[in-house]
Amino acid sequence: MCCNENFEERNKGEKIQTTLDLNDISGMKFFDPHIHMTSRTTDDYQAMADAGIVALIEPAFWLGQPRTGVDSFTDYYSSLIGWERFRSSQFGIKHYCTIGLNSREANNEKLAEQVMEILPQFIFKEGVVGIGEIGFDDQTAAEEKYYRLQLNLGLEAGLPVQIHTPHRDKKKGTQRSMDIAIEQGLAPHMVIVDHNNEETVKEVLDRGFWAAFTIYPFTKMGNERMVEVVKQYGSERIMINSAADWGISDPLAIPKTAALMKRSGISLADIELVTYRNAITAFAQSGQIDENDFTAVKNIDQSQKFASNSILRGGQQPRIDKNSIIIS
Amino acid sequence: MPLIDIQDLKKLNQLLWNILKKNLNTAAIEWIQHKITLIVAEDKSVQLQLCFAHLPRIASKKSINVLDEEVQQINDLLPGFVIHDWTTDKLSRVWLLMQLPPDNKETYIKKINGLFAAAEMNEQIALYSALPLYFYPEEWISRCEEGIRSNIGTVLEAIMYDNPYPAKFLSEPSWNQLVLKAFFTEKEVNKIYGLYERANAALTETLQDYIQERLAAHRTVAPEIYQLTQQTETTK
Repeated sequence: MCCNENFEERNKGEKIQTTLDLNDISGMKFFDPHIHMTSRTTDDYQAMADAGIVALIEPAFWLGQPRTGVDSFTDYYSSLIGWERFRSSQFGIKHYCTIGLNSREANNEKLAEQVMEILPQFIFKEGVVGIGEIGFDDQTAAEEKYYRLQLNLGLEAGLPVQIHTPHRDKKKGTQRSMDIAIEQGLAPHMVIVDHNNEETVKEVLDRGFWAAFTIYPFTKMGNERMVEVVKQYGSERIMINSAADWGISDPLAIPKTAALMKRSGISLADIELVTYRNAITAFAQSGQIDENDFTAVKNIDQSQKFASNSILRGGQQPRIDKNSIIIS
Repeated sequence: MPLIDIQDLKKLNQLLWNILKKNLNTAAIEWIQHKITLIVAEDKSVQLQLCFAHLPRIASKKSINVLDEEVQQINDLLPGFVIHDWTTDKLSRVWLLMQLPPDNKETYIKKINGLFAAAEMNEQIALYSALPLYFYPEEWISRCEEGIRSNIGTVLEAIMYDNPYPAKFLSEPSWNQLVLKAFFTEKEVNKIYGLYERANAALTETLQDYIQERLAAHRTVAPEIYQLTQQTETTK
């Protein structure tokens, strides 16, 4: 999350006209296990597909301002399994999601109670690969209450849990999140602890949890730091994501980091684990991920585009040249 | 009363069940039979919601095998209803919807609307494909109209393709909306049941404007549009 009021400074700088060179990683496949596509444009989907992203997970989150009624949650969850999944398929990217009540809105207890009642309707839907993202923001009593309740839900449903760790008081917040998960009876291998940094990673790995890192400009990890983390800790149970959302974030964080890792001499096998395989292994514990679908979504989509043209507006071409000033 | 009379509906129910049985393994059949008893017995929709969501994991998503004679039998019972390109999960879901007890109108409608409210993409497809099979057909008109506003291509196709409900129940403006939307989204309009039977002057007028608009923009015009407009012109 961003939103410093530095836009004047940002916009004043020289306009950058270079193009991104991802030749180093051409042909590689990537999986982004944390990205909020609801807040992104079709340009992002196209760029992600071009850069090799074949599948993603969209965790349910805070939309930037609080919701005031339970129906807003119903509509949001159903958009994650409906409209957004379709949008993604139009670019040949397989879309999964995790469903949960985020920590911020857990603080509106009256609403949180109602949201807890509708959650079971959604967690068994096709393509729902976990409970998430849940956990702590301010580390209030209400956050803890709904965190525990949702951990129970994940346990009962046999679903992995995707934990958001707090920005403030991060190290203690992360420890506490893991302690509570264990107290509620979850096995560490069913828990993905997200938004790690150099201070939290060791304990998370030592205790047997999955350690996810968010490559996000300014506020979370930079990818040069990420390269160092992989050099130090290896690739076991480590995964990266973009957590791209409505803030200044980067939906290509994974391919870019893969390119940087390659340039920094990290082995292709390690890069594959951190940018693709580990996330699949962790979330496939839901029984809801089939890698064959990654290619199936492409085939179905191509045929839809070229045969029956289910693209949204009539006459739209499957592919737009972004560098042409002609729009036809 | 659904779109077809009760005796034919029973026959269709049996026919679809037979097709389903050939396409599922024994464990899946038993699972579904067990769930049906729970769903029929409950007042609320808990079992229904869970089972409906869960079905693809049990029934898988393979293309169904169906014989030509079965396709014919289905068409005799419910003209325009074609299932040969369905998948096992879709057929299972539609068949499941046919098992809901219709006796209490309010409960029946509430249960199906509840499924619509929380439906993911494939669930929406099954729910809309089942429109001609629901009891109280006039109650689903606004739902069908709502579906035509969907931007999800495959959901639109569930309503437009091989589905006899819209032609039978939609008002002229709504029907015209469906046809226009089909042309706009470049659907295979020949799969729309009743396309030529329900051609009308208002639609022709709009389509003629649309032809002009396309030509002015140097875009192509689907041949079926001409066919459709010429047809109403000659019957005028």
